[in-house]
Parts: sequence; C-alpha cells; structure tokens
Amino acid sequence: MANKYGLIDPADPAFRDESEVALATLVSATAGSSKKIGAKMIVGRSGRIIGGVTIGGCVDAQVVEAADALFDKDDADRRLLSISLDDDEAWEIGLTCGGTLEVLLTRVDLGSTDDPTVAAHREAMELLSAGEATAIVTPIESSGGSYAVAAAELEGAEPAERTFVDRISPPLTLVIVGAGQIAMSLTRMARELEMRTVIVDGRDRYATRQRFPEADDVLVGMPSEIVAAIDANRRTAVLLLAHDYKYELPVLRDILRKPVGYIGMLGSKKRGVAMRDLLRDEGFTDDELARVHTPIGLDLGGKAPAEVALSILSEIVAVYSGKRA
Amino acid sequence: MTAGPYRRVVIELFRHPKNRGPLHDASASAEGANPLCGDRIRVELGGDRSRVTDARFTADACALCIASASLLTERVRGMSAEDALRIDTSWLFASLEGEPPASRRKCAVLPLDTLRRAVAALPSA
Repeated sequence: MANKYGLIDPADPAFRDESEVALATLVSATAGSSKKIGAKMIVGRSGRIIGGVTIGGCVDAQVVEAADALFDKDDADRRLLSISLDDDEAWEIGLTCGGTLEVLLTRVDLGSTDDPTVAAHREAMELLSAGEATAIVTPIESSGGSYAVAAAELEGAEPAERTFVDRISPPLTLVIVGAGQIAMSLTRMARELEMRTVIVDGRDRYATRQRFPEADDVLVGMPSEIVAAIDANRRTAVLLLAHDYKYELPVLRDILRKPVGYIGMLGSKKRGVAMRDLLRDEGFTDDELARVHTPIGLDLGGKAPAEVALSILSEIVAVYSGKRA
Repeated sequence: MTAGPYRRVVIELFRHPKNRGPLHDASASAEGANPLCGDRIRVELGGDRSRVTDARFTADACALCIASASLLTERVRGMSAEDALRIDTSWLFASLEGEPPASRRKCAVLPLDTLRRAVAALPSA
C-alpha cells in the first residue's frame, strides 16, 4: 500500500501478493490539472489500483492501460505518457478541461531492495519521519534511477538533464489548544486529511485519550509552556479553541513571533479586537496581530461542533493551498 | 465579579502583573491547578526558610488568579517561611479590595495554596 505521502513501502502487508508495480506520477500539466503535480497512482501487476493522477475520468484509465502494457515489455522500465485532454466530443459540448498532461510511469520491483524507486522512497520516508521536507529526483529522459535528498539540498541546483523533482513536505501539524467538542470533531476530520494533531489543555479531565483517540498527542499542563516547547515551523498550525483568554493570551505571546503557518482563534470579531488591543499594548505590532485568524474558520454558517470544525479545516486547507481565506 | 475597587485592582494587576515569569535558580517551587476551569500556576521562590529572597510566578490563568499571584509574590518577599505561611485569605481579599464572589473564590485562592506549598518546600537556613 502507498502510505500517506503516496510513497511505496514494500513492507506493507497490502503488497504481500504483489511482486511488481508501476508507479505513475503526474509530472506536468499545460492546463489546470485537478490534482497537484506529483500526484501518484500505483498499478499492481495483479490488477490493483491505488491512488490516481487525476480526480477521475479517462486519464487514469489510460494510465492503467499503459501500466499493463509496460509489464508486458521485458526491456522497458520507464515510460513518459503524454495525454491530451482535448477529447473532440467532450470539447464540442464544453465538458473537457483541455490541455495536456505528462505522466511518468516507472516499473518497480518490490522484491528488490536495490530497486532505485524502492530505495528512493525509503530514504524519503526516513527524511519525512524526521520532519524534514524531501525531494525525489527522477531523470525523465534517461534511464538513471530515482534518488531522494533533503529538499534544502536542491536549492539553486541546475540539473544537467530533464528531471522531475517531486517535493514532499511533512504533514501539517495542528496544535489544538482547548480540548472541547470542536477539538474532538476536528481531530477526527484532520485524520482523514492526513494532518497530525496535538491536543493541549490544562485540564486533565478534558484532554484525555478517551476523548481524543485519533490524536497523535494529548498533552496536559500549562498550555503556553507546552506550545512553546513544540518545534514550530511553517507546517505547524496553532488553533486556539479554548475560548478562554487565560490560554489564548499566553499562547499568543509565544507564537506570534514564531514562524508557524497558521494561527486561528475561536471567538467573535469583538473578542478578536479586544485580544488584539491587549497584545498591542504589550508591544506586538499590527503585522504580528494580523496573523491571527479570528473569528476562526471560513464562514459556512454552521454552529454545531462538527460544522465549526469543518469551517476551521476548510480555512487551513485554503491558507496552505495559497488561497486567500 | 462585583464592580468598584475590587474590579479595578484585579484588572490593573492582570494587565500589569508584578513578578510574572520564571525565577532562575529557584530554591523551591510548587504547581497548582483548578481542574475544571483550567487555571494553572507555578510559584517559584528564592532563599530559604529564614528568608524568602525572591518570588515569581508563571500562569495560564484568569485575571483574578493572576492578580492574586501578583499580590502574593510581592507580599512574601523578605518574609520567613513561618510568617509566609500565616498569609491568609483575609489579607488577600483586603488587598484585592473586595471579596470575590463564591463562584470565583477558588481562582483567587489557587495562588495562595500554591505559594504555601512552595514555602513548605524551602530548604532550611
């Protein structure tokens, strides 16, 4: 089975009966692709299909056919597919996206630890597990194998040939301060989105494993100290859901000057203004205070805990996708 | 919370607390929490049982709790452990210029309880 990064782990029991797969990776798109460059699909020799390079339609079907054909060739381990989206009839009735996609198909021997794709994916997973952004580099027009490096090592590098660089970031970590009902819903939904969740609260009757079985961590103590000890970076989102200034102010004093990617606080606009006024008096700048999304979440209209959780996650997805939220 | 001087004192001390922040090289400390409302506080003391030379607190807590901690850490500095343990709610509420409503009493008393445990942990002279 591919893991949450779409990478291949031959040790996964789901691959027990699979000796060989074809890895399909979306490497370019001339028009708006429905998936991000780097989207992956794995086609097993047994017929299984995992993932997809598009959200559906005819492209994935063509990739599966090409993968099946690749297995039948003894002398080929890679193929670059160029797939036109300009289906004549669909174009005529306005139901095509148009453009061309390139999909790189690579044959992977799951039984060989020396297989370059297996090795590259293993190295990438080790880097990601250590919280480091990684890149898998694959030559497109030569027979050279893939390899993984820390993404930072590629800064300013100029490849000598056409390569596909698949940049993979560690999962988002949501640091959720306040172990209430919204946090419970949000933790469940975040798992589906493959985000890590850390629950923080000063109340040990609220922040329990029983209430948060899906959370990656449940931490009880002084919230501002717990949050301050977390190794925060751009892939860290801090969600203030306690609706209590006793936690919000101390946590904000710490994280407003840290490079976290998202800060959101539950509460009304009026509450947000009051919080900003207090912190402005303490010396925080308007630019720093503007980082706080409050009221938190997109305005979807719902009031139930799960609905609010959905609006918060929607805003986080928008922010990390570069959309204005 | 009642109006009047009590409220003014609490707000002023919440916005400008004295002795907030960790005390490096503390000789004694104690932590306390109100388990349901979530107030959390740590009181750290310098000195020994003959004399408290310094007192500071760290808290993620409400305005009343922080105001109380501010007053108590000011008060205890220079005292012996014996005198420090005599600080009571009467002194605290007088210093707050009013008695908190029953539902908030625990917020004011948490720093006092925590201070007493920190004092009890001071080393002998």
